[in-house]
Amino acid sequence: MRLPDSVTGSFLVVLGAASAYGGWILPPVPGQPVGPNVFPLVIGIGLALCGLAIVFGIGHSFEEEEELIPLEDGQAAAPLPQGKLYGLRALLPPALLLFYVAAADRLGFIITAAIMVYVTSTALGAKWKLALPLAALSPFAIHLIFGKLLRVPLPAGLLPTPW
Amino acid sequence: MLKTLIEAFALISTWEVIIAMFAASVYGLVIGSLPGLSATMATALLVPVTFYLSPIAAIATIVAASSMAIFSGDIPGALLRIPGTPASAAYADEAYAMTRKGQAELALGAGVWFSAVGGIAGVLSLMILAPPLAEIALSFSTFEYFWLALLGLMCATLVARSSPVKAIAGMFLGLLVSCIGIENPGGVPRFTFGITDLFGGIEPIPALVGVFAVAQVMRAMLTPEPPPLPRRKFGSIMAGQWKLTKKYHWQMTRGNIIGIIIGVLPGAGADMAAWVSYAMSKRFSREPEKFGTGHVEGLVEAGASNNASIASGWVPSLLFGIPGDTIAAIAIGVLYMKGLNPGPTLFTEKASSMYAIYLMFIIANILMIPLGIAMIRIAAYILLAPRSAIMPIIMLCCAVGSFAIGNNMFGVVTVAAFGVIGYVMEANGYPVAAMVLGIVMGTMVEQAFVTSLIKSDGSILPFFERPVAAILAAMAIGALLWPVMVWVWRKVKPVQTAAATPG
Repeated sequence: MRLPDSVTGSFLVVLGAASAYGGWILPPVPGQPVGPNVFPLVIGIGLALCGLAIVFGIGHSFEEEEELIPLEDGQAAAPLPQGKLYGLRALLPPALLLFYVAAADRLGFIITAAIMVYVTSTALGAKWKLALPLAALSPFAIHLIFGKLLRVPLPAGLLPTPW
Repeated sequence: MLKTLIEAFALISTWEVIIAMFAASVYGLVIGSLPGLSATMATALLVPVTFYLSPIAAIATIVAASSMAIFSGDIPGALLRIPGTPASAAYADEAYAMTRKGQAELALGAGVWFSAVGGIAGVLSLMILAPPLAEIALSFSTFEYFWLALLGLMCATLVARSSPVKAIAGMFLGLLVSCIGIENPGGVPRFTFGITDLFGGIEPIPALVGVFAVAQVMRAMLTPEPPPLPRRKFGSIMAGQWKLTKKYHWQMTRGNIIGIIIGVLPGAGADMAAWVSYAMSKRFSREPEKFGTGHVEGLVEAGASNNASIASGWVPSLLFGIPGDTIAAIAIGVLYMKGLNPGPTLFTEKASSMYAIYLMFIIANILMIPLGIAMIRIAAYILLAPRSAIMPIIMLCCAVGSFAIGNNMFGVVTVAAFGVIGYVMEANGYPVAAMVLGIVMGTMVEQAFVTSLIKSDGSILPFFERPVAAILAAMAIGALLWPVMVWVWRKVKPVQTAAATPG
């Protein structure tokens, strides 16, 4: 997800302009010179200026290259599989969280959590021998801590817990 | 004074506090020792649990977990050359070189001993600095608060190990996030796009969990798994530490002082303290050629430094609500929830709670020595746990914890969204800590800014009229112009720079 500075900078310019405009059109407090509109206006202008500076590469010289600890002769790094879709794996965790939002009320906490654990574990390279027991047990453990001890109202759904 | 101290002792000597502290210590040690799970993340995931504890027990968990996690990051750094937390990254190479020389005990012992000493030095700074500063702060008006907040935000950008322009942009992004909702001077829905869930604004805690925890799981998806730890037998861990203390007492003191200063600066935390102290140690050492070959001197100074910054980071947090580092930013959220609103009056009205915090810091740092030694001995077993077993649990904790904050699903959406934001920002060199600072301080900055504008009736002069305000203004503007001056200086003298950097 390393994007060129011109892309991220331009995005900031647009976001800053939008925020300044959004602040501008907010209704002022009657009889007051300053209200809720001032702060977004200031931030928006600042953000847009920063965006411009980034597009033109100002301050780039300050950036330190990421420190990679060089590997030793003995421990060669496993080659990373590089495919077009490989980078998209990073989006899996937020996608699973959204899945939790969508499904937890219907399926219940235990089932949704088990699916989340299984998918995350497998995506990180676990064999089913590890992922399956983990998915079966960890939701109950988490439910015990949060649902039972801390009284968080976790949705019961299809499979109510025994306690 | 004595009465408050006894009250404070009474506050912390309940079973709830003792158990909470002990459990949080073990939790902090384990999370800190696992590569990729930082001390900030450990603290952020702890927040939902603190809802259900008494105020003192809640703060006890945060104090204990953060102190322990900063130390235990040294363990995989020394044994695997993979720092457990970013705060240990500065000297992971050095510690690993010592392990290869067969001095793993000395390296880890120095980690635990000088961390504890540093932590206690940090608490002393908190005890000495905070009350007199509170006296001064009582006379602050909104103008001073405005400049102070601005100075805090600028500091965060100055010390970022990245482009200052990107750090400022990150800070503005955080401030923009804090604009969302109806909690603004006019009480009108702002940037809510008609979504009711956004009316209450973005809570800092789910945003922090997303930026620090979910983004870390996302990064784990694309990076290879660290190698398992070779099992080894350890000799005596504390042997020789007293000799080191006597030999390097000056380095230790310098590390403590640097750590305290960096901790007090808003936005700069333990990792920055460790980098600066390690560099200082090398720069002023009598035997700099030994650095990098397994020399304990830098470890002493940096280890003393990063733990000192943890406690001193609470100074601006307790006084002004300006977080000294990302862990303190989380602590501020918890303080507000528990009715201990940060501010100078905290030291007069809730003095016993303040003493209780000091005491808990001291106890946590003493507890660190036996628990740390035990942790070093069992680290090989804990580090056997594969990442594919830990990350799914972290994910579950993110989902349940963010739900628990308001008992609504919108918290989970927030966490997911900030996970993506944090991941993209980090990948493109935008410091996440600057954005976090913006989110936490946004409401306060806006309030001080708008109130000051209303009071001054559109004039700019009152912003500089009061003496303290003028000093703070000069510092804030200087901090703002500093990167510009450096940039201009580099442009004007391109020849020297080109000659200085070969290639």
